[in-house]
Amino acid sequence: MLPLSLLSAAQNKPMLVELKNGETFNGHLVNCDNFMNITLREVYQTSADGDRFWKLKECYIRGSTIKYLRVPDTLLDQVKEEQNRAREANRNSRGGHTGPNRGGRGAPIRGSRGGGRGGPLRGGRGRGRGL
Amino acid sequence: MSSLQGYVDRRVLLVLQDGRAIVGVMAGFDQRSNIVLSDCKERVFSMDEGVEEIALGLYLVKGDMISLIGELDEEIDSSVDLSTIRADPLQPIRY
Amino acid sequence: MQLIFSVFKTLTDQTVTVELKNDLSITGVLKSVDQFLNIRLDNIKVSDENRHPHMMAVKNCFIRGSVVRYVQLPAEHVDTQLLEDATRRGVFCIRGSPSGC
Repeated sequence: MLPLSLLSAAQNKPMLVELKNGETFNGHLVNCDNFMNITLREVYQTSADGDRFWKLKECYIRGSTIKYLRVPDTLLDQVKEEQNRAREANRNSRGGHTGPNRGGRGAPIRGSRGGGRGGPLRGGRGRGRGL
Repeated sequence: MSSLQGYVDRRVLLVLQDGRAIVGVMAGFDQRSNIVLSDCKERVFSMDEGVEEIALGLYLVKGDMISLIGELDEEIDSSVDLSTIRADPLQPIRY
Repeated sequence: MQLIFSVFKTLTDQTVTVELKNDLSITGVLKSVDQFLNIRLDNIKVSDENRHPHMMAVKNCFIRGSVVRYVQLPAEHVDTQLLEDATRRGVFCIRGSPSGC
């Protein structure tokens, strides 16, 4: 399961965020993006030494400053279930036609890659002269 | 990043850059080595008393905070009495 | 970077010692490397286990490239002459390494 799927499933859920500088933020997730930038609402901010607190109505945290996020335990099963259901629905919508690798997005069938893209298989062009 | 694939659904020891040691089950990861750990417990090492385990729950850890991930041999791990172990915490990463 | 990546690839299944920036020193069999120089080690042993019992139950591990300070390589498996040549000529991959570049 991808970390970002877990995070987006955590919308409107309570979470604790610790930053690299040790400050922590407790609040409910409003939104997030692929960089793990997040917005929280109804936030309790705690200083790194743990003896100062602030209450914020809403705040934005840049993803790159985050050390970790703690989310509710129940979220894991919830996301797994959702993924199973999505997979099931996907299978049914393709209906009738059995077997994997039927066009579309599935993994390419082995050996069907052909020339075109991808690096040279051996020798030849690479960078530099090789040794 | 294929190297993390073998750890999915295994119990692992995660060492963070700040020196913390956390055990948990690896539920997933991505290309940036961000990881999801379920059933996390922090292992607090000290010289004065045995190792203390603190339950933390479900964690999403950013890849840039990770120093090391090790697969726990459950047999060895459960045979160790953590309360008898005295050691300083691991050092934080220093560049 | 690519050159060093190739060098590491030629060293898979050799025993190396990795010193981390938290002063841990881990010896093990190099199982894989990736472009970030993240390292997979098997059959690991931590030097000075008495001081570092944290990893007692760990048999194999993934080390993030960014926390590696040194890697001690088996000298007999590194062709330094070849490396020097490659570096001088600005050739950044070694043919015949598994990267196939």
